[in-house]
Amino acid sequence: MKMKFAWLLAATMMTAPVMAADSIKIGVSGPFTGGSASMGVSMRDGVKLAVSEINAAGGVMGRQIELVERDDEAKNELGVQIAQELINKENVVATVGYINTGVALASQRFYQEAEIPVFNNVATGSLVTKQFAGADFKANYIFRNAANDTIQSAMIAEEAVKRQGFKKPAILADATNYGQLGKTDLTNALQKMNITPVATEKFNIGDTDMTAQLLRAKEAGADVILTYAIGPELAQIANGMAKLGWKVPMIGSWTLSMASFIDTAGPNGDGAMMPQTFIQQPSTPKRKAFIEAYQKAYNVDRMPSPVSAAQGYDSIYLLAAAITQAKSTEGRAIREALENLGTKVDGVVTTYDHPFTATDHEAVSDNIPVFGLVKGGRVGPAHPEDIEGDKALRIKPKA
Amino acid sequence: MQILMQLIVSGISVGMIYGVIAFGYQLTFATSKTLNFGQGEALMLGALVGLTTVNFLIGNSLGNFWAYVLMLPVVLAFGALQGSVVEWLGVRPAMRAKSEAGWIMATIALGIIFKNLAENIWGRDALRFPSPLPEASLSFGGIRIQPMEIVVVIGAIVLMVAVELFNRYSIYGKAVVATSNDRDAAGLMGINTNRIITFSYALSSMSAAFAGVLVAPVTLTGATMGAVLGLKAFAVAIIGGLSSGLGVVIGGLILGITETLTGYYISTGYKDVPGLLLLLIVLSLKPSGLFGKAAIKKV
Repeated sequence: MKMKFAWLLAATMMTAPVMAADSIKIGVSGPFTGGSASMGVSMRDGVKLAVSEINAAGGVMGRQIELVERDDEAKNELGVQIAQELINKENVVATVGYINTGVALASQRFYQEAEIPVFNNVATGSLVTKQFAGADFKANYIFRNAANDTIQSAMIAEEAVKRQGFKKPAILADATNYGQLGKTDLTNALQKMNITPVATEKFNIGDTDMTAQLLRAKEAGADVILTYAIGPELAQIANGMAKLGWKVPMIGSWTLSMASFIDTAGPNGDGAMMPQTFIQQPSTPKRKAFIEAYQKAYNVDRMPSPVSAAQGYDSIYLLAAAITQAKSTEGRAIREALENLGTKVDGVVTTYDHPFTATDHEAVSDNIPVFGLVKGGRVGPAHPEDIEGDKALRIKPKA
Repeated sequence: MQILMQLIVSGISVGMIYGVIAFGYQLTFATSKTLNFGQGEALMLGALVGLTTVNFLIGNSLGNFWAYVLMLPVVLAFGALQGSVVEWLGVRPAMRAKSEAGWIMATIALGIIFKNLAENIWGRDALRFPSPLPEASLSFGGIRIQPMEIVVVIGAIVLMVAVELFNRYSIYGKAVVATSNDRDAAGLMGINTNRIITFSYALSSMSAAFAGVLVAPVTLTGATMGAVLGLKAFAVAIIGGLSSGLGVVIGGLILGITETLTGYYISTGYKDVPGLLLLLIVLSLKPSGLFGKAAIKKV
């Protein structure tokens, strides 16, 4: 039995390079249908744009990149099936994607075991890159180039309390993992500034009436509403406030930039603020080129989710740089190259200069995101001075 | 006091929606002692067909209000058709086979099929339904109400009163009442009870589709909108009593108001708990519902 296994192993080892010689397969897993589809589709489109540019320029190590796209429908169990398919059947060298923290946490264990890198380009849960970090694991195969919830919640608290001087925040979060973990992060961030939220309210996905939650916040004297939820329910909050004739600013996680919030809330959503790693504005030459290429390739004016598109685009360039440096498509070599990336990668979000180390797998640091503001159906910068001149390009400080 | 009134007003408009859907459960239960467990999906289909119709009419340069009015007969007809299909495919074979539970499985299965169908046609995103009335809320002594919420309450009452009047004063309605009272006797008197049961299913899905287009402008429309509402309405039907039309309306109001009051005075995290507690209490103390007549099953 053992003998047979060894033969099988030897056989696959001999055939694998021959099979992959023509193209490098990279998996893409994200929700392309359903409630988070605007993020998933934008991410995929950003990824495809980067791949077509790289392939047109001759590929990586002279080989073309081939994408294997799978719709995980934001469902954990489907994400797991896709992970197994991409690893065992498609033999991908790495996978990019994951919009939903839950799907990422459920699926990436298979990559960790197979020693294949995962590049989270949208999912924000603080735990995502730490699932296999620490002394128990030899190496961590999970990387990310998105602003995690620890960064976002600290930014939200900072903006509301320090910059705008609100003293009585109310937290409104949905009952999912995303909302409740975000709520805890937010409460902790406020705690550090000696602020206790005057109200902390919860609602379910699909709730149609927010009167009770909003009245509680209003009666507690809230002067700002901090949110951790997704598009449709965020719109119910904005519309509910309009119905009650009560208007306080909404500041929340980056999901306030979702098209489903902006379109459904309409004018009621104007003024909402959220951390953004990328705002659809040509503030650097790279961003200008990216926006124009995206608009041309997909024939749209407004990107459904600019942040997802930009991070999806950058994730491929980072991965390509690592493969080039490793001169190999073997998972362990790519991971090591990512952790010691020698070349600067000129991305849309930032210029990645040695973005990862063996212990730090987060490419986006807390100085990179800026606040976006919803106005007239689009997200613009909340404080234009933040991205003026040389501040437009924000780079992660060297460790 | 103002807050209490505001909460009650919101509770009433949510409760009325529960009531209309539960009314649909009651209609089919009266004639055939069966229920359509896909009632939530009937609501969802009604809302989505309504959305497509409204968008088509607005596209032909009709105002939001008239588009909504003209859409209503289309949706009511569609609801009736959909209900007949459910009865024909799911309920009739089970009744013919004298199966005790076949219709339960069949109506649940049809509900799932309808949901998947809707996902394929309309996608899985939540869509915005153009409101026929201005969305700015009106203020009555500090209590703020959206015009559409008033329409929800009035529309629900009009529908239920219309069905009630039809049953009392038209010859077809009398046949429905006769079938509800005693199906075998009605059959012997020359009433085509099969057709009456189909008719009650048509009426039931029609009221669900109507509830769908009532609730759509104040929420969002999508393939999953029916699931929660259908389940809540089922609880309402049990609380109010499946054999009483008035009971389900009051049951709906009780559940709607309890939810908003609990959300405000206790915690928004426990909003759904009192409704379920009430359900358990009613089931243990008065299993036929608050207004239901206790049925004695003769064997």
